[in-house]
Amino acid sequence: MGGTGAVAELEVRKIRKEFGSLVAVRDASLRFDSARVTCLLGPSGCGKTTLMRMIAGLETPTSGDVLFDGKPVTSLSPSARDIGMVFQYPVVYQGLTARQNIMLPLRSLRTLSAADRSRRVDDALAILDLRDVADTDVGRLTHALKQKVAVARAIARQPHIILMDEPVTNIDATTKSQLKYALRRLTRELHQTIVYVTHDQTEAMTLADEILLMNEGEIVQRGSPREVYNHPAHRFGGWFLGNPGMNFVSHRVEKRAGELTLGRPLFARDTHLHGLDGETDVIVGVRPESLAIAGTASENSVPARIKHAAIVTGGQQLLALEVDGRTVKAKVPAGSSYRIGEDVHVTCDPDDVTLFDTDGGKLEVIFRPKADDA
Amino acid sequence: MPTPPPTDPNAAEGATKSTGPDAPRRSLAVRVRRFIERPRVFALLLIAPALIFFFVWNIIPVLTLIGVSFYNYSMVTGMPPRYIGLGNYEDIVYSFRLWESFGRTLSWVVVTVGIETVLGIAIGILFWGSVRLPGRRLALTLLFTPMLMTPLAAGIFFRLMYEPSIGIINYVTRWAGLGTFSFLSDRSLAFAAVVFVDVWMWTPFMVLITLAALGSVPKAELEAAEVDRLPWWRRLVTVVLPHAKFILMIGILLRTIESFKTMDLVFNMTGGGPGTTTELVALTLWRRAFEAFNLGWSSALAFILLLMAIAFTSIFLFVLNLRRRQQEREASA
Repeated sequence: MGGTGAVAELEVRKIRKEFGSLVAVRDASLRFDSARVTCLLGPSGCGKTTLMRMIAGLETPTSGDVLFDGKPVTSLSPSARDIGMVFQYPVVYQGLTARQNIMLPLRSLRTLSAADRSRRVDDALAILDLRDVADTDVGRLTHALKQKVAVARAIARQPHIILMDEPVTNIDATTKSQLKYALRRLTRELHQTIVYVTHDQTEAMTLADEILLMNEGEIVQRGSPREVYNHPAHRFGGWFLGNPGMNFVSHRVEKRAGELTLGRPLFARDTHLHGLDGETDVIVGVRPESLAIAGTASENSVPARIKHAAIVTGGQQLLALEVDGRTVKAKVPAGSSYRIGEDVHVTCDPDDVTLFDTDGGKLEVIFRPKADDA
Repeated sequence: MPTPPPTDPNAAEGATKSTGPDAPRRSLAVRVRRFIERPRVFALLLIAPALIFFFVWNIIPVLTLIGVSFYNYSMVTGMPPRYIGLGNYEDIVYSFRLWESFGRTLSWVVVTVGIETVLGIAIGILFWGSVRLPGRRLALTLLFTPMLMTPLAAGIFFRLMYEPSIGIINYVTRWAGLGTFSFLSDRSLAFAAVVFVDVWMWTPFMVLITLAALGSVPKAELEAAEVDRLPWWRRLVTVVLPHAKFILMIGILLRTIESFKTMDLVFNMTGGGPGTTTELVALTLWRRAFEAFNLGWSSALAFILLLMAIAFTSIFLFVLNLRRRQQEREASA
């Protein structure tokens, strides 16, 4: 059934929503890619759900516009917008079977023949692996299956745009991955404009073609999952993504021997860089998995002491290191066994570093090896 | 272990010396306390006040009522009660006037509760859809005032309003050129006139119940139905009703039980007249018991009404359990 639905271009212009004195969404303007999955990712209360609900028409924006295919729909009711939506809690119509649930919205589509309707329902049941429970009363289904029915109901109608509001969040852990997998397969097959809201970065990384990172009502960064992860445009992105998030260590860029240089605490040698106007305070952001730990000192390593060690999911060891009086997190491969109190050496590769100014904005700099190395 | 024995006899000796005569009484107190502290006894003691209250005010009167219902007992003749077996019940079964009164009560219940339910649901839905309407709160408060009035007072107000010569309603009908109506003494109008007042009084209750019922519909389901573009009647049937029906049902049942017992309103407006056109069962009972003082006969009728009330309550409990059972089924699924 992929690609048969009308695919609309979705755009929001300077959209803003205030709840009393709280600004949930601050004048966001963006165009969503058609036939792709866009994830709105951010912590609770960042405005991502509000933004989605405004697209759906369930919330009226304080100002700004929502446009489908260039036509404003801001004043239209949700039912006039032709969207599909999956909610955080599985919403099913009670007293009906799974099949009847998926069929119900189709019954209002006058243009569709009875055969077309049941074919669409069958397709939706098939794509979500629901054929075994098609004729079961939805009241008897598990949360995960109910949510699958809700997803099937949204896609069977083939609306312009499909919105998903944290559909996996309230599903118990065992069936969560199963549902996530189903959604992933579904989004690959559908070629629909899908907007997916989540606070779970793994979910966003798996499902999204593009991630919109939101914080405090603003869109902080937009890009492919890899891009957003590797090159955070703002300190917030570095902190929010990753488990745990980036380390942030204050440094001072100083002019030494006529060159702007970064040094201690993270760099043993002077590390030259380009792109800054002069001496300034910066924040070095480096992911815990990018730090190299070794028992012996190397050319650019700094000494550190292990303050805390724990095993995390996946078997890696998560260390809290004290470097020059500051605490830095490091994630080392599975199999290593560092002990608390051990003295080690930490190497930070400038290529893995993102520099932020003191306000958290990304600084575009180019690191250059020391002149005598070249 | 080795230390207590030597000190123990000393202490016991000292105790017997100083409070010799008290010793057995204290052990009785200890025994009583031990008895009270037994879990079963303690639990019984805790519910005892409620049980005693229930027994004195419910069980004894009901048993007395059942007992009296087998006697020919009039308070005014001065004759001692005479046992007549099922005589009173026989009399009730063969009383045409009473059957008529039962039939009237049945139509009373169906008509009043029916109108109140339909109107209540309609008004409730209107209020539900007008969350942002200014003055909504004030309108709701005003709407609920009839319910807060004593039926007796409402009866007096409406008797005055219906009054043919000074009543405001007749003033309006005369002004509209419809002439004068004696609402409460006209055989064809009296029943409808009393029904109207009951509807006026109790429709707000059904509005309240409807609002509570609609409030129990999950918002997400309503939003999903909106997004899914379901027509309004399908939303009502597939989303609203499944959630709202239990509370609505309870409201209807409460109203039915209440309406079955209606006495005060009719008593004050028409006294059951003209003729017997508005005489409901509860009024018949009151008349026989406190106007004719025929306590045996009215006890028998009261017992029959009690059985009916128990039947209603059973239906009521069945409906309540229906919901619980469904929830349990959902939880186990």
